[in-house]
Amino acid sequence: MGKAVVVIDYGMGNLFSVSSALRYLGCEPLISDDPEVVKKAAHVILPGVGSFRLAMERLHAKGLDDAVHDTVQSGHHLLGICLGMQLLGVSSTEDGNTAGLGIIDNTVQLFDESAGIKIPHVGFNEINPTATTGLFEGLPARPHFYFVHSYRMSVGGLHCAHATCTYGEEFLAAFDMDNVCGAQFHPEKSQANGLQLLKNFLSR
Amino acid sequence: MNHVRKRLIFALLYDSGKFMLSRNFRLQQVGDLPWLEKNYNFGETALAIDELVVLNVERSRASLDQFLEHVKKLNDDCFVPIAAGGGIRSVEDARRLLRSGADKVVINTILHDDRGLVAELAAEFGKQCLVASIDTKRVDGTFRVFTENGTRPIDGDLDSHLAEVTALPIGEIYLNSMDRDGTGQGFDEEMLRHVPSDIPVPLILVGGAGKPEHFTLGLADDRVDAVSTAHLFNFVGNSLQLSREHLLREGMNLVKWDGNQLKSLAGSV
Repeated sequence: MGKAVVVIDYGMGNLFSVSSALRYLGCEPLISDDPEVVKKAAHVILPGVGSFRLAMERLHAKGLDDAVHDTVQSGHHLLGICLGMQLLGVSSTEDGNTAGLGIIDNTVQLFDESAGIKIPHVGFNEINPTATTGLFEGLPARPHFYFVHSYRMSVGGLHCAHATCTYGEEFLAAFDMDNVCGAQFHPEKSQANGLQLLKNFLSR
Repeated sequence: MNHVRKRLIFALLYDSGKFMLSRNFRLQQVGDLPWLEKNYNFGETALAIDELVVLNVERSRASLDQFLEHVKKLNDDCFVPIAAGGGIRSVEDARRLLRSGADKVVINTILHDDRGLVAELAAEFGKQCLVASIDTKRVDGTFRVFTENGTRPIDGDLDSHLAEVTALPIGEIYLNSMDRDGTGQGFDEEMLRHVPSDIPVPLILVGGAGKPEHFTLGLADDRVDAVSTAHLFNFVGNSLQLSREHLLREGMNLVKWDGNQLKSLAGSV
């Protein structure tokens, strides 16, 4: 029996590939939309691809927003991936201003279109972690991860270990704060680097 | 400064449980997934690529379930993004693909026939989720665009279609030369000249790569973000690994992956 981990299913995002990566590492992923199942899990992953506003509506409709807060308050481990990380912030300007879960103090905006970059930001980009332990243990110095997103989270105000990435401007690539962490990139789609990061999350 | 790396993509063409080899859009059956693994060591190929594209070229609706099962299986040993598509005609089609392990949906015919659906897909999944596939070939000296698996010519030329498609809510363009498809003669430089230098979304160059040097043309061009090959016989087993090493030696802007570390992480939690 591998370690149990719950992947939150709220109709947004690639649950299957996250689960494949977890199985490869030797875990038993449980995909669930039941707030009670989420609250009991020692490790919870909030994935997500798509619209911020729609995601918040769907989380709320199923009571999963409260379950995520419960996970954080009870000291269980939470990892937000891509949109799942952005949802942990205060708000996003996607589809008008939408409030997030407010677990971290950061906000989400569209990439600066005037920076002469192609939007969305697609592909493998290097991140610059502030730590070599915790979520970032065992990674190369400037590891590459797969990004695919048009909105990005601001870096400011974080006092925990984190990693930045540069695409026209600097933005938040990942953070590692007590029992809550997030990755703007897709660890399940980033070859060995991503699997190492998932392993680090599950090993705590 | 822009640090984003370019991508080396492998594409699989699928028809009724089998993978296919294509030459100028004429298809030849190669083998099923176990056969591919046994004879061409596809698992090793997955360690040397940055993305996998899987296209269903069959058009009976009954086949979709079986295709989705194949996409799921490909996820088992493939920890790079998967873009999948072929015959997407509804939001539900796309949702099922994304719930089967695809990260992105490849669309082609609806880019011309049903732009309302393109907008719906973008509203539901985000435009970064949509890969716009364009199949083009020369007709009387002009690059024309074909939909429906390259069978139906549409009005206008490549330039007008590119302008229209880049104005749609899509995330990337998968530009395929039907003239070079499966020939191994190298990418179509003349086709690439029709791509504007300020193309606003990432561009994947497709059709014609037959040896490692061919990828260089694409990777060295500022407009190109990724190069793709579907050439099963030329680029499976360790040959993509060797191509990648060659390209890295040439100074191409690719990530250096550690396949051994990935293998060592199996069952490690």
